[in-house]
Amino acid sequence: MGGVEDDEPASKRMKLSSEELRRLSNGSTIKEPVAGSSRDLMARPLQSEGGEEVVGSKGVIKKVEFVRIIAKALYSLGYIKSGAHLEEESGIPLHSSVVNVFMRQILEGNWDESVVTLRNIGLTDERTVKSASFLILEQKFFELLDEEKAMDALNTLRTEIAPLGVNDSRVRELSSYIVSPSYCSLTRSPKQDTVRARSRSKLLEELQKLLPATVMVPEGRLEHLVEQALVLQRDACMFHNSLDKEMSLYSDHQCGRDQIPSQALQVYETGVSLKHKLSGHQKPLSSVSWSPDDRQLLTCGAEEVVRLWDVSSGECLHVYEKTGLGMVSCGWSPDGKWIFSGLNDKSICMWELDGKELECWKGQRTLKISDLEITGDGKQIISICRETAILLLDREAKVERFIEEDQTITSFSLSRDSRFLLINLLNQEIHLWNIEGDPKLVSKYRGHKRTRFIIRSCFGGLEQAFIASGSEDSLVYIWHRGTGELIETLPGHSGAVNCVSWNPANPHMLASASDDRTIRIWGLNNLSTKRKEPCSNGIHYCNGVY
Amino acid sequence: MDVDPRLYEQIAVNDNDIHNIIMSYLVHNCFKETVESFIACTGMKQPSDYLEDMEKRKRIYQFALEGNALKAIELTEQLATNLLEKNKDLHFDLLSLHFVELVCSRKCTEALEFAQMKLTPFGKEQKYVEKLEDFMALLAYEEPEKSPMFHLLSLEYRQHVAEILNRAILAHGNHPTYTAMERLIQQTTVVRQCLNQEHAKDGPPPFSLKDFIKS
Repeated sequence: MGGVEDDEPASKRMKLSSEELRRLSNGSTIKEPVAGSSRDLMARPLQSEGGEEVVGSKGVIKKVEFVRIIAKALYSLGYIKSGAHLEEESGIPLHSSVVNVFMRQILEGNWDESVVTLRNIGLTDERTVKSASFLILEQKFFELLDEEKAMDALNTLRTEIAPLGVNDSRVRELSSYIVSPSYCSLTRSPKQDTVRARSRSKLLEELQKLLPATVMVPEGRLEHLVEQALVLQRDACMFHNSLDKEMSLYSDHQCGRDQIPSQALQVYETGVSLKHKLSGHQKPLSSVSWSPDDRQLLTCGAEEVVRLWDVSSGECLHVYEKTGLGMVSCGWSPDGKWIFSGLNDKSICMWELDGKELECWKGQRTLKISDLEITGDGKQIISICRETAILLLDREAKVERFIEEDQTITSFSLSRDSRFLLINLLNQEIHLWNIEGDPKLVSKYRGHKRTRFIIRSCFGGLEQAFIASGSEDSLVYIWHRGTGELIETLPGHSGAVNCVSWNPANPHMLASASDDRTIRIWGLNNLSTKRKEPCSNGIHYCNGVY
Repeated sequence: MDVDPRLYEQIAVNDNDIHNIIMSYLVHNCFKETVESFIACTGMKQPSDYLEDMEKRKRIYQFALEGNALKAIELTEQLATNLLEKNKDLHFDLLSLHFVELVCSRKCTEALEFAQMKLTPFGKEQKYVEKLEDFMALLAYEEPEKSPMFHLLSLEYRQHVAEILNRAILAHGNHPTYTAMERLIQQTTVVRQCLNQEHAKDGPPPFSLKDFIKS
């Protein structure tokens, strides 16, 4: 068997070991164990002939590629001398000499020669060669048209471009350009730069995109790789609640807990100072909803009517009712023009603000729970329709979708982008569902306590990356949405925390309302934080009765 | 299940009606000598200007069929003034025939100039844009017969345009644009289709002229 030389090409070594394996299977004995040579193979990763050098601790970065990308980045930044120096010093040219000639020919407009050079580059895919030739000749065509040499342009089209046999529809467009140079087809959207020839450097960019990356290093490759790394770091950051601009290249990004609101900044007794007392409802209120412009309030009496109030004056502007029926919930359309209400006859009705009834949907049984939400595009109405199911009704298509749970649903809330729904269940779990297309369960959050009352939860933080919830053990719970891990519990209240609302404008502020008759505003554990007023339409009250 | 032929016996067909049907066909297709001979044989009366126009129409049709659109246009202007002005679609089709001629004879420069002068003005209206593009695309190919638009060079296409022209001229002179014969066959087919749809299996089968003639 003899020792295998280390500088033999890898392929030969492979063949030997397979030979040995064959002999093994034939039952013959061998002098040298098979493991020996295969161990050699495994010790060094398989390399192409010539043995490429690698950089970096993991040995996955090929030196030639690394240097070329850096050189490209230097040139992009405008450091031509540095780029050239790097090429010289490293002995690694950014582009092969053929490619350099090609690029020069493009920039100088030597079209015919560049097409020839293109063939010399040695591309294997004939289609790429043809597409690239097409782009080059198209540029020639347009430059001729610009010089008002219509017949020459036509000639180019007929004898050089059309015979390539690619992109017939473009050939068709080009013919139209000859006939009428200011032509701008109405059948497709007008392109800005196809009437006059575009710049040659733009052409070069297009060619760069077309040709394989090994031939011409793509523009912005180094920047792209760095951005990829930053994004990964950000996604891995559990407490990430700060702007991306604050990420630095010097060290791996990791937010500390200090980005999550954890300190009570203000405590309001008995709510905010009483501005108005809105009376008029005969029955206890089942839900309250702020208008999108924060100037009006919609209140719904339990199985009674819905009233519209002006917040600054305290006046009741309108009463919405349907004879013989009682309303159980209310909500606004995202543009503030219509209101919706769930009724106790299992239907959902839609009114214009002046009281004109627009539509009515009869669906499944609507429970007496005060939850009705409309998606941001105004198209879907979401409501609890059975103890364990939520109805997603598409207003226009009249299509119903359902989310089925095993446990009784107590409340839900919609994410800001209307793509996700957070559902609170009787068994103390919070479920996150993706409601685009067929609803899918994405995550579950546990840890808080809920036995007797309706507790509300919400999305929060930058990009709504956190889930917050109240709890009957008087703590505010905060989970990381992506991983489901509980990251904070905030003590401070002395009664069950009924609902929480994360400030939509300020990701570092959270409000919670509790049976201890206080509202707490939570902020960062950092005295220099600016204080912003919480957005008022975030907090929904419930009177704690299930 | 076809209609019982015995039912036909109950319908009387007037000889004059038949003559008219045949005449309308002959006139529409400009068979001048046949018309004259037919009139002589049957003793029918026909207004004389019909015959003159027929001769002219025939020539126009022939020129269009050959692809000599300019001549066809010239004669059409003489025979039916303002027809092409009012019927822009037709005018475009005829001009494009000439364009196609130039392209086929490989006279690229002329074709280009002709297109720029005569055809592109139509391009201001959306409905002509796509047609215009179809024709212009022919310029891009050294062998237009092998281009994606090769059907524009075919005899069928010229026939199609020539027929539209013929009908337009007839309409212009307040004559029927379709022959009675055509209409009769079309009507039978449509009526049969309706019956077929209504009665499914019980109704008469779709009309087939070939079978009908054989029976």
